[in-house]
Amino acid sequence: MVASPQHEFETQDLLINVGPQHPSTHGVFRMVLTIDGEVVKDVVPYIGYLHRGAEKLCETMDFRQGSGFMDRTEYLAAHNAELSYVMAVEALAGLEVPERAQWIRMILCELNRLSSHFMFLGAFGIDVGVFGTPFIYAWREREAIIDLFEEISGDRMMYAYFRPGGLAWDVPLNFKERVREVLKSTRQGIKDFDELLTQNEIFRARTEGVGTISAEDAIDWGMSGPSIRASGVPLDVRREEPYLKYADVDWDVITGENGDVFDRYYCRLLEMRESVKIIEQCLERLESGIIVPDKMPRMLRAAPGEVYIRTEAPRGEYGIYMVSKGGNRPYRLKVRSACLSNLQALRQMSVDQYVADAILVLGSIDIVLSEVDR
Amino acid sequence: MTTQDLTGTIWSDVDRALSGVTVRAERGLLDLIVYIPRDEVVRALRALKRDAGVSFDYLRSLTAVDNEDEGIDIVYHLYSTAKKYNLTVKTTLPNDDLTVDTATAVWRGANWLERETAEMFGVRFRGHPDPRTLLMPEDMDDTFPLRKSHPLAEIEVLQGEGMGYTEEDR
Repeated sequence: MVASPQHEFETQDLLINVGPQHPSTHGVFRMVLTIDGEVVKDVVPYIGYLHRGAEKLCETMDFRQGSGFMDRTEYLAAHNAELSYVMAVEALAGLEVPERAQWIRMILCELNRLSSHFMFLGAFGIDVGVFGTPFIYAWREREAIIDLFEEISGDRMMYAYFRPGGLAWDVPLNFKERVREVLKSTRQGIKDFDELLTQNEIFRARTEGVGTISAEDAIDWGMSGPSIRASGVPLDVRREEPYLKYADVDWDVITGENGDVFDRYYCRLLEMRESVKIIEQCLERLESGIIVPDKMPRMLRAAPGEVYIRTEAPRGEYGIYMVSKGGNRPYRLKVRSACLSNLQALRQMSVDQYVADAILVLGSIDIVLSEVDR
Repeated sequence: MTTQDLTGTIWSDVDRALSGVTVRAERGLLDLIVYIPRDEVVRALRALKRDAGVSFDYLRSLTAVDNEDEGIDIVYHLYSTAKKYNLTVKTTLPNDDLTVDTATAVWRGANWLERETAEMFGVRFRGHPDPRTLLMPEDMDDTFPLRKSHPLAEIEVLQGEGMGYTEEDR
Protein backbone atom coordinates (compact mmCIF):
# COMPACT_ATOMS: atom_id res chain seq x y z
CA MET A 1 0.00 0.00 0.00
CA VAL A 2 1.26 3.44 -0.88
CA ALA A 3 0.33 6.36 1.29
CA SER A 4 -0.61 9.41 -0.70
CA PRO A 5 1.74 12.26 0.09
CA GLN A 6 0.33 15.08 2.13
CA HIS A 7 2.36 17.69 0.35
CA GLU A 8 4.44 17.95 -2.81
CA PHE A 9 8.06 17.12 -2.21
CA GLU A 10 10.55 19.41 -3.77
CA THR A 11 12.56 17.69 -6.46
CA GLN A 12 15.75 18.71 -8.10
CA ASP A 13 16.57 18.17 -11.76
CA LEU A 14 19.71 16.21 -12.39
CA LEU A 15 22.11 16.81 -15.24
CA ILE A 16 23.66 13.76 -16.87
CA ASN A 17 26.48 14.05 -19.33
CA VAL A 18 26.50 11.38 -22.04
CA GLY A 19 29.60 11.15 -24.19
CA PRO A 20 31.57 12.34 -26.05
CA GLN A 21 33.34 9.01 -25.66
CA HIS A 22 30.63 6.57 -24.91
CA PRO A 23 29.69 3.55 -27.04
CA SER A 24 26.00 4.46 -27.11
CA THR A 25 26.66 7.78 -28.82
CA HIS A 26 28.00 6.07 -31.95
CA GLY A 27 31.10 8.20 -32.14
CA VAL A 28 32.18 11.44 -30.56
CA PHE A 29 28.81 12.94 -29.81
CA ARG A 30 27.94 14.49 -26.49
CA MET A 31 24.58 15.30 -25.02
CA VAL A 32 23.62 16.74 -21.68
CA LEU A 33 20.36 15.32 -20.38
CA THR A 34 18.31 17.13 -17.78
CA ILE A 35 16.35 14.46 -15.98
CA ASP A 36 13.56 14.45 -13.45
CA GLY A 37 13.58 11.00 -11.92
CA GLU A 38 13.79 8.69 -14.90
CA VAL A 39 12.25 11.13 -17.35
CA VAL A 40 14.23 13.31 -19.73
CA LYS A 41 13.21 16.96 -19.48
CA ASP A 42 15.75 18.53 -21.78
CA VAL A 43 18.52 17.50 -24.15
CA VAL A 44 21.39 19.73 -25.20
CA PRO A 45 23.45 18.09 -27.95
CA TYR A 46 27.06 19.07 -28.59
CA ILE A 47 28.76 18.24 -31.86
CA GLY A 48 31.94 19.30 -33.57
CA TYR A 49 34.45 16.92 -31.97
CA LEU A 50 35.23 15.44 -35.37
CA HIS A 51 35.28 18.67 -37.33
CA ARG A 52 38.16 18.54 -39.80
CA GLY A 53 37.18 21.38 -42.09
CA ALA A 54 36.35 19.14 -45.04
CA GLU A 55 34.72 21.99 -46.91
CA LYS A 56 37.74 24.25 -46.60
CA LEU A 57 40.11 21.43 -47.52
CA CYS A 58 38.12 20.62 -50.64
CA GLU A 59 38.62 24.18 -51.87
CA THR A 60 42.32 23.37 -52.18
CA MET A 61 41.94 19.93 -53.77
CA ASP A 62 41.36 19.32 -57.43
CA PHE A 63 38.40 17.27 -58.54
CA ARG A 64 40.16 13.87 -58.40
CA GLN A 65 41.42 14.46 -54.88
CA GLY A 66 38.09 15.85 -53.76
CA SER A 67 36.11 12.76 -54.65
CA GLY A 68 38.56 10.70 -52.60
CA PHE A 69 38.18 13.03 -49.67
CA MET A 70 34.40 12.60 -49.69
CA ASP A 71 34.95 9.05 -48.40
CA ARG A 72 36.24 10.56 -45.20
CA THR A 73 33.09 12.55 -44.61
CA GLU A 74 30.76 9.56 -44.73
CA TYR A 75 32.83 6.48 -44.09
CA LEU A 76 29.95 4.02 -43.77
CA ALA A 77 28.51 4.91 -47.16
CA ALA A 78 31.53 6.20 -49.01
CA HIS A 79 30.25 5.26 -52.47
CA ASN A 80 27.15 7.37 -51.94
CA ALA A 81 29.22 10.30 -50.75
CA GLU A 82 31.54 10.08 -53.75
CA LEU A 83 28.55 9.92 -56.04
CA SER A 84 27.23 13.33 -55.03
CA TYR A 85 30.63 14.90 -55.50
CA VAL A 86 31.36 13.42 -58.91
CA MET A 87 27.85 14.23 -60.10
CA ALA A 88 28.39 17.85 -59.11
CA VAL A 89 31.66 17.96 -61.05
CA GLU A 90 30.04 16.29 -64.05
CA ALA A 91 27.21 18.82 -64.02
CA LEU A 92 29.63 21.74 -63.94
CA ALA A 93 32.11 20.30 -66.44
CA GLY A 94 29.38 19.01 -68.75
CA LEU A 95 30.50 15.37 -68.76
CA GLU A 96 28.26 12.60 -70.00
CA VAL A 97 28.66 9.40 -67.98
CA PRO A 98 28.60 6.14 -70.01
CA GLU A 99 25.75 3.72 -69.41
CA ARG A 100 27.89 0.96 -67.96
CA ALA A 101 29.45 3.29 -65.41
CA GLN A 102 25.99 4.42 -64.32
CA TRP A 103 24.75 0.89 -63.74
CA ILE A 104 27.90 -0.05 -61.82
CA ARG A 105 27.60 3.09 -59.72
CA MET A 106 24.04 2.20 -58.91
CA ILE A 107 24.92 -1.36 -57.90
CA LEU A 108 27.72 -0.17 -55.65
CA CYS A 109 25.60 2.56 -54.05
CA GLU A 110 22.85 0.10 -53.23
CA LEU A 111 25.36 -2.43 -51.89
CA ASN A 112 26.76 0.34 -49.76
CA ARG A 113 23.28 1.08 -48.48
CA LEU A 114 23.00 -2.58 -47.49
CA SER A 115 26.33 -2.60 -45.69
CA SER A 116 25.48 0.66 -43.92
CA HIS A 117 22.07 -0.60 -42.83
CA PHE A 118 23.63 -3.83 -41.54
CA MET A 119 25.91 -1.67 -39.44
CA PHE A 120 22.82 0.11 -38.15
CA LEU A 121 21.01 -3.12 -37.34
CA GLY A 122 23.96 -4.44 -35.36
CA ALA A 123 24.60 -1.25 -33.43
CA PHE A 124 20.93 -0.65 -32.82
CA GLY A 125 20.57 -4.15 -31.43
CA ILE A 126 23.17 -3.26 -28.84
CA ASP A 127 21.36 0.01 -28.04
CA VAL A 128 18.19 -1.94 -27.39
CA GLY A 129 20.02 -4.37 -25.17
CA VAL A 130 20.24 -7.47 -27.36
CA PHE A 131 23.92 -7.87 -26.65
CA GLY A 132 26.23 -9.58 -29.08
CA THR A 133 24.11 -11.67 -31.39
CA PRO A 134 22.75 -9.07 -33.83
CA PHE A 135 26.05 -7.28 -33.94
CA ILE A 136 27.95 -10.40 -34.94
CA TYR A 137 25.27 -11.39 -37.45
CA ALA A 138 25.37 -7.91 -38.96
CA TRP A 139 29.12 -7.89 -39.05
CA ARG A 140 29.20 -11.18 -40.91
CA GLU A 141 26.91 -9.86 -43.66
CA ARG A 142 28.60 -6.49 -43.82
CA GLU A 143 31.98 -8.17 -44.10
CA ALA A 144 30.86 -10.04 -47.23
CA ILE A 145 29.91 -6.76 -48.90
CA ILE A 146 33.06 -4.98 -47.79
CA ASP A 147 35.15 -7.85 -49.17
CA LEU A 148 33.49 -7.35 -52.53
CA PHE A 149 34.25 -3.62 -52.39
CA GLU A 150 37.85 -4.44 -51.65
CA GLU A 151 38.07 -6.71 -54.66
CA ILE A 152 36.73 -3.91 -56.84
CA SER A 153 38.42 -0.80 -55.50
CA GLY A 154 41.35 -2.14 -53.51
CA ASP A 155 40.14 -0.66 -50.25
CA ARG A 156 37.68 -1.71 -47.61
CA MET A 157 36.30 1.69 -46.68
CA MET A 158 37.96 4.55 -48.57
CA TYR A 159 37.23 3.51 -52.14
CA ALA A 160 37.92 6.59 -54.31
CA TYR A 161 36.42 4.48 -57.08
CA PHE A 162 33.96 6.94 -58.61
CA ARG A 163 35.76 9.53 -60.68
CA PRO A 164 34.36 12.53 -62.51
CA GLY A 165 33.16 11.09 -65.81
CA GLY A 166 32.88 7.49 -64.73
CA LEU A 167 34.88 4.99 -62.72
CA ALA A 168 38.52 4.61 -61.85
CA TRP A 169 38.78 1.27 -63.66
CA ASP A 170 36.46 -1.50 -64.74
CA VAL A 171 35.10 -4.08 -62.32
CA PRO A 172 36.66 -7.57 -62.18
CA LEU A 173 35.47 -10.14 -64.73
CA ASN A 174 33.59 -12.21 -62.16
CA PHE A 175 31.72 -9.12 -60.87
CA LYS A 176 28.21 -10.35 -61.62
CA GLU A 177 28.75 -13.75 -60.02
CA ARG A 178 30.34 -12.19 -56.96
CA VAL A 179 27.48 -9.71 -56.49
CA ARG A 180 24.93 -12.52 -56.82
CA GLU A 181 26.88 -14.54 -54.26
CA VAL A 182 26.88 -11.60 -51.84
CA LEU A 183 23.18 -10.97 -52.42
CA LYS A 184 22.41 -14.55 -51.50
CA SER A 185 23.96 -14.16 -48.06
CA THR A 186 22.46 -10.66 -47.73
CA ARG A 187 18.98 -11.96 -48.36
CA GLN A 188 19.49 -14.60 -45.68
CA GLY A 189 20.89 -11.94 -43.35
CA ILE A 190 17.85 -9.70 -43.76
CA LYS A 191 15.61 -12.68 -43.02
CA ASP A 192 17.65 -13.51 -39.92
CA PHE A 193 17.24 -10.00 -38.60
CA ASP A 194 13.56 -9.98 -39.34
CA GLU A 195 13.16 -13.09 -37.23
CA LEU A 196 15.59 -12.06 -34.56
CA LEU A 197 14.38 -8.51 -33.93
CA THR A 198 11.11 -7.67 -35.71
CA GLN A 199 9.33 -10.68 -34.34
CA ASN A 200 10.88 -10.37 -30.92
CA GLU A 201 8.26 -9.37 -28.38
CA ILE A 202 10.71 -7.71 -26.01
CA PHE A 203 12.27 -5.74 -28.85
CA ARG A 204 8.89 -4.47 -29.96
CA ALA A 205 7.79 -3.56 -26.46
CA ARG A 206 11.00 -1.61 -26.10
CA THR A 207 10.75 0.30 -29.39
CA GLU A 208 7.08 0.81 -30.29
CA GLY A 209 5.63 4.18 -29.42
CA VAL A 210 9.00 5.54 -28.31
CA GLY A 211 10.45 8.78 -29.67
CA THR A 212 7.63 9.62 -32.06
CA ILE A 213 7.82 12.53 -34.43
CA SER A 214 5.01 13.68 -36.70
CA ALA A 215 5.30 14.14 -40.45
CA GLU A 216 4.93 17.94 -40.21
CA ASP A 217 7.65 18.22 -37.57
CA ALA A 218 9.98 15.95 -39.51
CA ILE A 219 9.61 18.11 -42.61
CA ASP A 220 10.05 21.30 -40.60
CA TRP A 221 13.31 20.03 -39.09
CA GLY A 222 14.57 19.05 -42.52
CA MET A 223 14.92 15.37 -41.68
CA SER A 224 15.52 12.96 -44.53
CA GLY A 225 16.13 9.34 -45.34
CA PRO A 226 14.52 6.47 -43.44
CA SER A 227 14.12 8.79 -40.45
CA ILE A 228 11.56 10.95 -42.25
CA ARG A 229 9.97 8.10 -44.22
CA ALA A 230 9.19 6.36 -40.92
CA SER A 231 6.89 9.31 -40.17
CA GLY A 232 4.93 8.60 -43.33
CA VAL A 233 6.56 11.15 -45.64
CA PRO A 234 7.49 9.42 -48.91
CA LEU A 235 10.51 11.65 -49.43
CA ASP A 236 13.18 9.78 -51.35
CA VAL A 237 15.43 11.57 -53.82
CA ARG A 238 15.72 8.38 -55.85
CA ARG A 239 12.01 8.59 -56.55
CA GLU A 240 11.36 12.35 -56.52
CA GLU A 241 14.21 13.34 -58.81
CA PRO A 242 15.65 10.12 -60.22
CA TYR A 243 19.38 10.19 -60.95
CA LEU A 244 21.53 7.40 -62.39
CA LYS A 245 19.03 4.79 -63.62
CA TYR A 246 16.57 4.74 -60.75
CA ALA A 247 13.72 5.67 -63.07
CA ASP A 248 14.36 2.52 -65.12
CA VAL A 249 14.08 -0.03 -62.35
CA ASP A 250 11.12 -1.18 -60.35
CA TRP A 251 11.17 -0.60 -56.60
CA ASP A 252 9.02 0.85 -53.83
CA VAL A 253 9.51 3.72 -51.43
CA ILE A 254 9.07 2.32 -47.93
CA THR A 255 7.20 4.49 -45.47
CA GLY A 256 6.18 3.97 -41.87
CA GLU A 257 3.08 5.14 -40.07
CA ASN A 258 3.88 6.13 -36.53
CA GLY A 259 7.29 7.76 -36.80
CA ASP A 260 8.51 5.95 -33.71
CA VAL A 261 11.77 4.13 -33.07
CA PHE A 262 10.35 0.85 -34.30
CA ASP A 263 9.23 2.35 -37.60
CA ARG A 264 12.64 3.89 -38.16
CA TYR A 265 14.18 0.47 -37.62
CA TYR A 266 11.64 -1.37 -39.73
CA CYS A 267 11.79 1.10 -42.63
CA ARG A 268 15.49 0.42 -42.90
CA LEU A 269 14.99 -3.32 -42.84
CA LEU A 270 12.35 -3.21 -45.57
CA GLU A 271 14.43 -0.77 -47.56
CA MET A 272 17.20 -3.35 -47.66
CA ARG A 273 14.90 -5.74 -49.49
CA GLU A 274 14.22 -2.99 -52.03
CA SER A 275 17.95 -2.48 -52.46
CA VAL A 276 18.39 -6.17 -53.21
CA LYS A 277 15.60 -5.87 -55.78
CA ILE A 278 17.28 -2.87 -57.41
CA ILE A 279 20.67 -4.59 -57.59
CA GLU A 280 19.19 -7.70 -59.19
CA GLN A 281 17.61 -5.60 -61.93
CA CYS A 282 20.84 -3.67 -62.43
CA LEU A 283 22.77 -6.90 -62.90
CA GLU A 284 20.39 -7.98 -65.62
CA ARG A 285 20.74 -4.68 -67.45
CA LEU A 286 24.52 -4.34 -67.05
CA GLU A 287 26.25 -4.66 -70.40
CA SER A 288 29.84 -4.31 -71.45
CA GLY A 289 31.02 -0.94 -72.66
CA ILE A 290 33.23 1.97 -71.79
CA ILE A 291 33.44 3.29 -68.24
CA VAL A 292 34.74 6.82 -68.90
CA PRO A 293 33.78 9.12 -71.76
CA ASP A 294 35.93 8.82 -74.89
CA LYS A 295 36.85 12.47 -74.91
CA MET A 296 37.91 12.83 -71.31
CA PRO A 297 40.03 15.96 -70.89
CA ARG A 298 43.48 15.45 -69.48
CA MET A 299 43.03 18.29 -67.03
CA LEU A 300 39.48 18.59 -65.82
CA ARG A 301 38.17 22.13 -65.62
CA ALA A 302 34.69 23.16 -64.60
CA ALA A 303 32.77 26.04 -66.10
CA PRO A 304 31.89 28.92 -63.78
CA GLY A 305 28.56 28.30 -62.14
CA GLU A 306 26.97 26.55 -59.22
CA VAL A 307 24.99 23.40 -58.66
CA TYR A 308 23.32 21.67 -55.75
CA ILE A 309 23.36 17.89 -56.26
CA ARG A 310 21.34 15.72 -53.92
CA THR A 311 21.39 11.96 -53.75
CA GLU A 312 19.79 9.49 -51.41
CA ALA A 313 22.47 8.12 -49.13
CA PRO A 314 21.58 5.48 -46.50
CA ARG A 315 21.04 8.14 -43.85
CA GLY A 316 19.15 10.56 -46.04
CA GLU A 317 19.84 13.33 -48.45
CA TYR A 318 23.54 13.80 -49.03
CA GLY A 319 23.88 17.07 -50.88
CA ILE A 320 26.84 18.75 -52.48
CA TYR A 321 26.62 22.46 -53.22
CA MET A 322 29.51 23.29 -55.50
CA VAL A 323 30.42 26.75 -56.70
CA SER A 324 32.95 27.00 -59.49
CA LYS A 325 34.67 30.09 -60.81
CA GLY A 326 36.49 28.09 -63.48
CA GLY A 327 39.65 26.13 -62.82
CA ASN A 328 40.32 22.64 -61.61
CA ARG A 329 38.98 22.92 -58.07
CA PRO A 330 35.76 24.11 -56.46
CA TYR A 331 35.60 27.72 -55.29
CA ARG A 332 33.27 26.68 -52.52
CA LEU A 333 32.00 23.27 -51.52
CA LYS A 334 29.26 22.64 -49.02
CA VAL A 335 28.30 19.20 -47.81
CA ARG A 336 24.67 18.95 -46.81
CA SER A 337 24.73 16.37 -44.09
CA ALA A 338 21.63 14.27 -43.59
CA CYS A 339 22.62 13.36 -40.05
CA LEU A 340 23.06 16.98 -38.99
CA SER A 341 19.49 17.80 -39.92
CA ASN A 342 18.17 14.56 -38.44
CA LEU A 343 20.04 15.21 -35.24
CA GLN A 344 18.35 18.58 -34.80
CA ALA A 345 15.10 16.79 -34.13
CA LEU A 346 16.70 14.70 -31.36
CA ARG A 347 15.56 17.04 -28.62
CA GLN A 348 11.95 16.94 -29.67
CA MET A 349 12.00 13.15 -29.96
CA SER A 350 13.70 12.54 -26.60
CA VAL A 351 11.92 14.94 -24.27
CA ASP A 352 9.45 13.21 -21.93
CA GLN A 353 10.97 9.81 -22.68
CA TYR A 354 12.86 7.64 -20.22
CA VAL A 355 16.63 8.01 -20.06
CA ALA A 356 17.15 4.51 -21.47
CA ASP A 357 14.86 5.38 -24.36
CA ALA A 358 16.81 8.53 -25.18
CA ILE A 359 19.67 6.21 -26.15
CA LEU A 360 17.28 4.29 -28.40
CA VAL A 361 16.09 7.47 -30.08
CA LEU A 362 19.66 8.48 -30.76
CA GLY A 363 20.44 5.02 -32.11
CA SER A 364 17.37 5.04 -34.33
CA ILE A 365 18.47 8.07 -36.35
CA ASP A 366 21.71 6.24 -37.15
CA ILE A 367 24.19 9.09 -36.99
CA VAL A 368 27.69 9.05 -38.40
CA LEU A 369 29.60 11.76 -36.62
CA SER A 370 32.15 12.22 -39.34
CA GLU A 371 29.30 13.26 -41.60
CA VAL A 372 27.71 15.51 -38.99
CA ASP A 373 30.91 17.39 -38.26
CA ARG A 374 32.65 17.05 -41.66
CA MET B 1 11.93 41.26 -63.14
CA THR B 2 14.07 39.17 -65.35
CA THR B 3 15.81 39.30 -68.69
CA GLN B 4 16.37 35.60 -69.30
CA ASP B 5 13.84 33.33 -70.92
CA LEU B 6 12.54 31.23 -68.05
CA THR B 7 9.87 29.22 -69.81
CA GLY B 8 9.71 25.63 -68.68
CA THR B 9 10.77 26.57 -65.15
CA ILE B 10 8.72 27.17 -62.06
CA TRP B 11 9.31 30.91 -62.39
CA SER B 12 5.67 31.92 -63.00
CA ASP B 13 4.57 30.20 -59.76
CA VAL B 14 7.47 31.65 -57.81
CA ASP B 15 6.84 35.11 -59.24
CA ARG B 16 3.21 34.95 -58.14
CA ALA B 17 4.18 33.88 -54.62
CA LEU B 18 6.74 36.67 -54.40
CA SER B 19 4.54 39.57 -55.46
CA GLY B 20 5.72 42.76 -53.79
CA VAL B 21 9.29 41.50 -53.35
CA THR B 22 12.21 42.76 -55.40
CA VAL B 23 13.45 39.67 -57.14
CA ARG B 24 15.78 38.77 -59.98
CA ALA B 25 15.70 35.28 -61.42
CA GLU B 26 18.21 33.21 -63.30
CA ARG B 27 18.21 29.72 -64.74
CA GLY B 28 20.63 27.51 -62.82
CA LEU B 29 22.09 24.19 -63.96
CA LEU B 30 19.38 22.22 -62.20
CA ASP B 31 17.20 24.62 -60.27
CA LEU B 32 15.87 28.13 -60.68
CA ILE B 33 17.92 30.69 -58.77
CA VAL B 34 16.34 33.87 -57.39
CA TYR B 35 18.23 36.82 -55.94
CA ILE B 36 16.45 38.80 -53.24
CA PRO B 37 17.74 41.87 -51.33
CA ARG B 38 18.62 40.94 -47.77
CA ASP B 39 16.05 43.20 -46.12
CA GLU B 40 13.29 41.33 -47.86
CA VAL B 41 14.69 37.82 -47.88
CA VAL B 42 13.00 36.39 -44.79
CA ARG B 43 9.67 37.93 -45.77
CA ALA B 44 10.11 36.32 -49.17
CA LEU B 45 11.04 32.94 -47.66
CA ARG B 46 7.95 33.03 -45.49
CA ALA B 47 5.82 33.85 -48.52
CA LEU B 48 7.41 30.99 -50.45
CA LYS B 49 6.57 28.61 -47.64
CA ARG B 50 3.01 29.79 -47.06
CA ASP B 51 1.92 30.31 -50.66
CA ALA B 52 -0.19 27.30 -51.67
CA GLY B 53 0.98 27.53 -55.27
CA VAL B 54 4.57 26.65 -54.35
CA SER B 55 4.61 25.74 -50.61
CA PHE B 56 8.34 25.37 -50.08
CA ASP B 57 8.02 23.55 -46.77
CA TYR B 58 11.40 21.83 -46.74
CA LEU B 59 14.72 23.59 -46.24
CA ARG B 60 17.33 21.40 -47.85
CA SER B 61 20.39 23.40 -47.04
CA LEU B 62 21.48 26.83 -45.89
CA THR B 63 24.99 28.07 -46.37
CA ALA B 64 27.14 30.98 -47.46
CA VAL B 65 29.72 31.73 -50.12
CA ASP B 66 32.51 34.23 -49.53
CA ASN B 67 32.95 36.30 -52.67
CA GLU B 68 35.73 38.38 -51.10
CA ASP B 69 35.29 41.99 -52.26
CA GLU B 70 31.72 41.45 -53.40
CA GLY B 71 30.47 40.43 -49.97
CA ILE B 72 29.07 37.17 -48.69
CA ASP B 73 26.18 35.35 -50.35
CA ILE B 74 23.69 33.48 -48.18
CA VAL B 75 22.24 30.56 -50.13
CA TYR B 76 19.00 28.75 -49.29
CA HIS B 77 18.04 25.54 -51.07
CA LEU B 78 14.31 24.96 -50.81
CA TYR B 79 12.11 22.06 -51.74
CA SER B 80 8.38 21.63 -51.90
CA THR B 81 7.27 18.17 -50.81
CA ALA B 82 3.82 18.72 -52.31
CA LYS B 83 4.77 20.26 -55.65
CA LYS B 84 8.20 18.66 -55.98
CA TYR B 85 9.71 22.05 -56.84
CA ASN B 86 13.29 23.06 -56.17
CA LEU B 87 14.43 26.62 -55.71
CA THR B 88 17.69 28.31 -54.80
CA VAL B 89 17.36 31.65 -53.02
CA LYS B 90 20.39 33.89 -52.77
CA THR B 91 20.99 37.15 -51.00
CA THR B 92 24.15 39.22 -50.83
CA LEU B 93 25.47 40.77 -47.63
CA PRO B 94 27.92 43.68 -47.93
CA ASN B 95 31.25 43.19 -46.17
CA ASP B 96 30.69 46.16 -43.84
CA ASP B 97 27.43 44.78 -42.46
CA LEU B 98 27.21 40.99 -42.44
CA THR B 99 23.77 40.76 -40.89
CA VAL B 100 20.59 39.08 -42.07
CA ASP B 101 17.35 38.11 -40.35
CA THR B 102 17.07 34.54 -39.12
CA ALA B 103 15.03 31.97 -41.01
CA THR B 104 14.42 29.84 -37.91
CA ALA B 105 10.92 31.28 -37.62
CA VAL B 106 10.16 29.91 -41.08
CA TRP B 107 11.74 26.47 -40.74
CA ARG B 108 13.00 25.20 -37.38
CA GLY B 109 15.58 23.19 -39.28
CA ALA B 110 17.42 26.41 -40.13
CA ASN B 111 18.64 26.58 -36.54
CA TRP B 112 21.87 24.57 -36.69
CA LEU B 113 22.53 25.47 -40.30
CA GLU B 114 22.54 29.15 -39.36
CA ARG B 115 24.70 28.51 -36.33
CA GLU B 116 27.23 26.78 -38.54
CA THR B 117 27.14 29.51 -41.17
CA ALA B 118 27.51 32.18 -38.49
CA GLU B 119 30.64 30.72 -36.95
CA MET B 120 32.23 29.79 -40.26
CA PHE B 121 31.66 33.10 -42.05
CA GLY B 122 31.11 35.63 -39.27
CA VAL B 123 27.59 36.36 -40.44
CA ARG B 124 25.11 37.46 -37.79
CA PHE B 125 21.59 36.08 -37.99
CA ARG B 126 19.40 38.68 -36.32
CA GLY B 127 16.90 37.16 -33.91
CA HIS B 128 18.43 33.68 -33.81
CA PRO B 129 17.08 31.85 -30.73
CA ASP B 130 20.34 30.06 -29.87
CA PRO B 131 23.37 31.91 -31.24
CA ARG B 132 26.05 29.62 -29.76
CA THR B 133 28.81 28.06 -31.82
CA LEU B 134 28.01 24.66 -33.28
CA LEU B 135 31.17 22.94 -34.49
CA MET B 136 33.84 25.35 -33.26
CA PRO B 137 35.03 25.82 -29.69
CA GLU B 138 33.01 28.38 -27.77
CA ASP B 139 35.87 30.85 -27.45
CA MET B 140 36.65 30.83 -31.15
CA ASP B 141 34.67 33.91 -32.09
CA ASP B 142 37.19 36.18 -33.75
CA THR B 143 38.26 34.09 -36.74
CA PHE B 144 36.08 32.57 -39.43
CA PRO B 145 37.49 29.42 -41.03
CA LEU B 146 35.51 29.32 -44.26
CA ARG B 147 36.31 32.86 -45.28
CA LYS B 148 38.73 33.08 -48.16
CA SER B 149 41.05 35.25 -46.06
CA HIS B 150 41.45 32.50 -43.45
CA PRO B 151 44.64 30.48 -43.94
CA LEU B 152 44.47 26.73 -44.25
CA ALA B 153 46.66 26.17 -41.19
CA GLU B 154 49.94 24.31 -41.62
CA ILE B 155 49.57 23.53 -45.30
CA GLU B 156 49.77 27.19 -46.18
CA VAL B 157 52.33 27.92 -43.52
CA LEU B 158 54.59 25.26 -45.02
CA GLN B 159 53.99 26.39 -48.54
CA GLY B 160 54.50 29.98 -47.52
CA GLU B 161 53.86 32.81 -49.89
CA GLY B 162 53.00 30.51 -52.77
CA MET B 163 49.44 30.45 -51.51
CA GLY B 164 49.20 34.20 -51.04
CA TYR B 165 49.93 34.09 -47.34
CA THR B 166 51.00 37.40 -45.88
CA GLU B 167 53.48 38.15 -43.12
CA GLU B 168 50.74 39.74 -41.05
CA ASP B 169 48.72 36.53 -40.75
CA ARG B 170 51.72 34.60 -39.53
